[in-house]
Amino acid sequence: MIKIAIYGKGGIGKSTVTSNLAAAFARLGKKVIQIGCDPKADSTINLLNGDPVMPVMNYLREYDKEPEQISDIAKEGFGGILCIETGGPTPGLGCAGRGIITTFSLLEDLKLFETYQPDVVLYDVLGDVVCGGFAAPIRENYADHVLIVTSGEKMALYAANNINSAVQNFADRAYAKVFGLVMNRRSVEKEEEKVRAFAEANGLEIVADIPRSNDIIHWEDQGKTIVEGAPELPVSQQFLALAQKFLQEEK
Amino acid sequence: MKQTARIISIYASDTAGVCSMLYELGGMTIVHDASGCNSTYSTHDEPRWYQHDSMIYISALTETDAILGNDARLVDDIVRAAEEMKPRFLALCGSPMPMMIGTDFDALATELEQKTGLPVFGLHTNGMNSYLNGASQALCAYLKRFCIEVPKEKKSVNIIGATPLDFSLNGSVGSIRSWLKDNGYQVVSCMAMGSSPEEISRAGKASVNLVISSCGLAAAEYLKKRFGAPWVSGVPYGKSFSAQLLNALELAEKTGICQSPHAARTGTKKVAVVGESVTASSFAAALETDCGLSVRVLCPQALQPSILADCDSLIDCEDSMAAAFAEADVVFADPLFEPVCPRGTIFIRHPHEAFSGRCFSGEIRNFVCRELKREMFSL
Repeated sequence: MIKIAIYGKGGIGKSTVTSNLAAAFARLGKKVIQIGCDPKADSTINLLNGDPVMPVMNYLREYDKEPEQISDIAKEGFGGILCIETGGPTPGLGCAGRGIITTFSLLEDLKLFETYQPDVVLYDVLGDVVCGGFAAPIRENYADHVLIVTSGEKMALYAANNINSAVQNFADRAYAKVFGLVMNRRSVEKEEEKVRAFAEANGLEIVADIPRSNDIIHWEDQGKTIVEGAPELPVSQQFLALAQKFLQEEK
Repeated sequence: MKQTARIISIYASDTAGVCSMLYELGGMTIVHDASGCNSTYSTHDEPRWYQHDSMIYISALTETDAILGNDARLVDDIVRAAEEMKPRFLALCGSPMPMMIGTDFDALATELEQKTGLPVFGLHTNGMNSYLNGASQALCAYLKRFCIEVPKEKKSVNIIGATPLDFSLNGSVGSIRSWLKDNGYQVVSCMAMGSSPEEISRAGKASVNLVISSCGLAAAEYLKKRFGAPWVSGVPYGKSFSAQLLNALELAEKTGICQSPHAARTGTKKVAVVGESVTASSFAAALETDCGLSVRVLCPQALQPSILADCDSLIDCEDSMAAAFAEADVVFADPLFEPVCPRGTIFIRHPHEAFSGRCFSGEIRNFVCRELKREMFSL
C-alpha cells in the first residue's frame, strides 16, 4: 500500500494536486482512498462531480454519535476513489487538530483499510504542520511519504521549508519521509530557478512540475479533475507520471 | 444520559489498569499526566503500594508543555529517571490531556528506546477507558517483548489476568495457584501477581492457559497464536464450578479448543451479579451449581462479550443498571451500586476493588474452591 501525505502553504493547490494524483492512480487501475484533513472539507469535491461527501465532524455534530459504517462518512468518486473528509469544528471554536486525530481513530475502529484494501491512500493536509493533530497523517502506520507542494513564491517556499524541517525533526520517530517537491507553477519570475535552489539546498527532488493551466480551472468548474476530464493533456500527463513514479518506487 | 454516572462511582481507568498489571515486573510505568494524580493510580487503586516497591513515574505535564508540545522535556526527564532507577523496561501511557493534544506514545517509545537502550512500549490509554483495556494492552505489550522460546510441558499452566483490581489481596490468587497444584498442574507463571519476570518470560512452556479476568484474554490469544496453547476462562469459585473448570482445562489441553464453562448458564433476571465478565460469570456459575440459584451477569465493562452467557447483559449506564436491578429479587454488587438498587430488591454486598478502591477491600471474600451456601449470603 502506498500512503502519501500532501502538505504545502495554504492556497498553493494541495487539493488540486492530491485529487489529480488520486485520479491518476485510479486511471492506472489502482484502488484509491483520499482523506481530506482540512476543516474546509473541500479536498475531494472535484472527484465527486461537485457533490460533496458528509465530513466526519459534520456527522458527529448532526447525529451526536459516531458513524457506525464507512458509508456514513465516505462516498465513491471518479474511478472508484473512496472520498473522506475530516471537516472541522464550529468555526472559531473547538480544535481542528483534535478532529483529525479523532477521525483517524474512527477510521481505524471502522477497519477502513482492512475492509476497503486500498492500493493507495492520499492524505490532503491543511497548510502546515501546526500541531500534533496536523502531524497525525505522517505518523507510523499512516503516510510513508510526504509530498510538499510549492511554487516559486517566497511564502510558499518558506512554508515548504517549515514542513521539511518538521518532518526532519521527527527523524527518530519512524515517521514518513519527504518523497519530493511538487512544483505547482504560478508564473513567478525565475520560478524554476528558485524552487530548484530550495530543493538542492535541502537535498530534495522535484518529482513533478505542474505548469500553470487554465484547463485545470476549466475542469474544476465542472466538478472534475483534469486527469478525469482530459487525460491526454500535458498537465494530466505530469500527474500520471508522478503516480507511475510512486508505483515504480513501490516495486 | 448515556454513559453518565450521577449517583454511582466509576471503574478504575485504563491507566490504573496499566500500572496494576505491570506493578511487579520491574519496569518503570510512566504516566504522562499532571502532577497530583499519582495517588489515584498508585495508592487508591493499588493495595500493593504499601508492601512492594514499584516504579510509577508521573510526568507532571503542565499547561505550557501541552501548548508547546514539549515532548523534549518528557523524553529528557525519562532518560534521567531511567539512568537513576535502572528499570528493566519503560511503559508509557497517557491521560486525557495528552489525548487531546495527540501525543504519539508509539513514536516516543521508539525515540526513548534509542536513547536509553531499554525495551520501551507506548500504550494507548487516555484515562477514559476501562482498567481492563489498559491492563490488557500492558500485558500483551510485555509478553510480546519478553517471552522466549521454550519447550512445552504437559499439564503446565499460566494464570493470566491477575491484578488486585479484580482479586484484591485476599488470598484468592494464591488459592487458584494451590488449586491448580493440588490437581496436578505445574504453574509456570501468574500474570501478573506473585511471579518473577523470568517465570513470565517462560510462559510458552504452558500446555494450557487459565484466564481469570477478561484483561487476560488478549494475552491468552497472543500466547495461543505464538505457542499453540489453548485457553480456558474462569475462576474456580465454589465447589461444583471449580470441578467443571478443571474438566474444561483437561478438555482444552486434550483438544486444543478454548473453553468458557462459566458461559454455560441459563440464568433468569431474578438473581443478578454485577462485575467483570470472567469473575462475575464464574461467581454466577458457582451460585448456580452450589446453591441452585439461576443467575445472570450484568456486566458494565466487557472486552470480549462472546464469553458471556446468552442470559447476561452488557450495561454501561447507571439508569439501565437501575432498571435491571428493578427486575431482580436479589442483586450481588459492589456496595457503591446500592444507591441505585430499588427497595424490595435484596442487595448483597459484593465489593470489587476496581470499582470502590480500598473502601470495602476488607469485605472482599475468597470464594476459590469454597462451597457456596445460601446462608453465607443470608438467602
